[in-house]
Amino acid sequence: MTVPRARSARQSFAVTIAGLSALLITAMLVSVTVGYRLYGLDQLYHAVFAFDGSETATVLVNLRLPRAILAPMVGAGLGVAGVLVQTLSRNRIASPDTLGLNAGASLAVVLASATLGITSLTGLSLVAALGALLTSMLVFAIAAGAGGISPIRIVLIGVTIAGLGQSVVQLILTSNEAQMQNLLFWLAGSFVDRPMALAINGLPFIAAGAAIAFALVRPLDALQADDATAVSLGVPVSLVRIGCFLAISLLSGAAVAMAGPVSFVGLVVPHAARRLAGQRHGPLMLAAALIGAIYTTLADVLARFVIYPVEAPVGAVTAVVGGLVLVLLLRGRAA
Amino acid sequence: MTPFLPALTATRAPLLLSIMTIATAVLALSGVAFGSSWIPIDRVAAVILGAGDKTQSLIVLQLRLPRVVIAILAGGGMAVAGFLLQKITRNSLASPGVLGVIDGGALGVVIFLAALSDKSNTLVTSIVFQPLAAMAGATLGIAAVFLLSGSQSVSAVRLLLFGIAVGAVAKALVMVMMLVGPIYRTSQAARWIAGAVNEVNWTEIQITALLLLPLLALALAVARKLPPADLDEISARSVGLDLPVFRLLVFAVAAALTAVSVAFVGAIGFVGLMAPHLARLIVGRSMVAGIIGSFLLGAFMLVGADLVVRVLFSPTEVPAGTVTAIIGAPYFLFLLMSKQRHDG
Repeated sequence: MTVPRARSARQSFAVTIAGLSALLITAMLVSVTVGYRLYGLDQLYHAVFAFDGSETATVLVNLRLPRAILAPMVGAGLGVAGVLVQTLSRNRIASPDTLGLNAGASLAVVLASATLGITSLTGLSLVAALGALLTSMLVFAIAAGAGGISPIRIVLIGVTIAGLGQSVVQLILTSNEAQMQNLLFWLAGSFVDRPMALAINGLPFIAAGAAIAFALVRPLDALQADDATAVSLGVPVSLVRIGCFLAISLLSGAAVAMAGPVSFVGLVVPHAARRLAGQRHGPLMLAAALIGAIYTTLADVLARFVIYPVEAPVGAVTAVVGGLVLVLLLRGRAA
Repeated sequence: MTPFLPALTATRAPLLLSIMTIATAVLALSGVAFGSSWIPIDRVAAVILGAGDKTQSLIVLQLRLPRVVIAILAGGGMAVAGFLLQKITRNSLASPGVLGVIDGGALGVVIFLAALSDKSNTLVTSIVFQPLAAMAGATLGIAAVFLLSGSQSVSAVRLLLFGIAVGAVAKALVMVMMLVGPIYRTSQAARWIAGAVNEVNWTEIQITALLLLPLLALALAVARKLPPADLDEISARSVGLDLPVFRLLVFAVAAALTAVSVAFVGAIGFVGLMAPHLARLIVGRSMVAGIIGSFLLGAFMLVGADLVVRVLFSPTEVPAGTVTAIIGAPYFLFLLMSKQRHDG
């Protein structure tokens, strides 16, 4: 699909990245200023650098700013995790959901809320992170027990665990319907009412996951084709897979803790990124991070208006937008 | 993929399939015996054979047998659809759920409930037309996938991606319509989306069976022609198989199986993904044995799931579709972990 990149291609890629970055900053500014009420950039400047406790400043700093920062973090994390999952499993329809982490996080949240009565957002996100972590360990342990984390095993064990987790979630939800009503919004994924502390706590995990991912760029390129090629190129295949798995767990675990299970981002972003950046993992993951960030940020803005004045779950918006984008991408490649 | 010793499985497949048939039959009978009142198996058999007292006949024939029969048909149909899709796409994540069929059906149901309700949120038409709406939605869903993909439908992974895209849009629309809709509509739609086998009558079973049986026969017929292993386009052509056209046919059969299976019972999840993998691990890679095995395992999973929700949650009616994973998944994980010893 890709041709070896000449210098001009490299330059045009730099332009693409610059364009995406500019788009991301614009999207974040839109996210802060546009919503139920409109604010000007001057008001934002005042609120951040000369906070005066006014209602405007409070809304901007406490409500708008956190989600404008959280949304791109989640999107970037899921975008990179999506690339990693699709390479690890060699399956173009795989996504971070495939590994069962979202289902595990949802299960942990529902269990904690049903048995311990945890309802605060901070508590829930901690529980979600724990659930995602335990699930990834479980998937890894079962895969290792089944003879190593080969692409097919990872995927099969992941979807099985995901299915189990979802079943138990459904069971608990149906058996205490009234109590669980408030969890439904969490389960659809949202950036509403997230405190800034959540973004600050999530940052190290996203950063660590991204660091591992970008350290693995070369071996991932080699692993893309098949194991034999990778081995002949001197790639320690198992080690790379373990690193890859760790990075996915960190990235999507942090994402689900911050925003709940946001669907479809991890599936569609890698396809869009491949279109812009080709198959090599360095440019690919960079593009995926930026596209993912733009995608969730804009989806979050859109979610404020779909069923105005109520906010729609961002997961629904990412799915509609992502579905349409995927169709366009696929059709664009027809010729 | 897990390789197997072909000679071993070839001789063992009929035996294994017979065991699975017996297991499914036993489970189905227990499905009829269990419920708000226990009816001994011999009484169940007597009623089915035409002898038995009136109360028991009523319970068995009108309440319990229909849900077991529809569970067998729908679970089996979904599993066979999943088997065909996984084989033709060579993608282990392929399932009826990623074709856009099921989410299209759900959208059909939600639009039906929204459009045909009057101001006080009562349906202006009978609820018996809901399956029709589901079927129409499912057909439109798969039609959208084929139309959008156009000439690209020759590529298996592209078709799957188009299915996922259409499905995602439909699913999100359903989610939004349920959020803004009145509670009655939401819970009625949620029921379909979860998939439940209760409240099915014999007419509906007849319709399902009439549509499903020819499709299953067709599935068996195409399965015999499915490329045995990893056959690429050129080698396929050299053995006289036009792979793109054949692939479209298989997709269409799988979509039709899915649409018929979900129409009355709703979007039963996980069976279509898991049963074919289970079948592969148990009976090996023979195509015909794989189809029969998938049907039996799919039926087993859904009948089992329905039994679980009835035993655990009676008298509340919990949709069986919510727990299908609980029946198959643990055993599947066990198989994955134990089979690797036989790996070459």
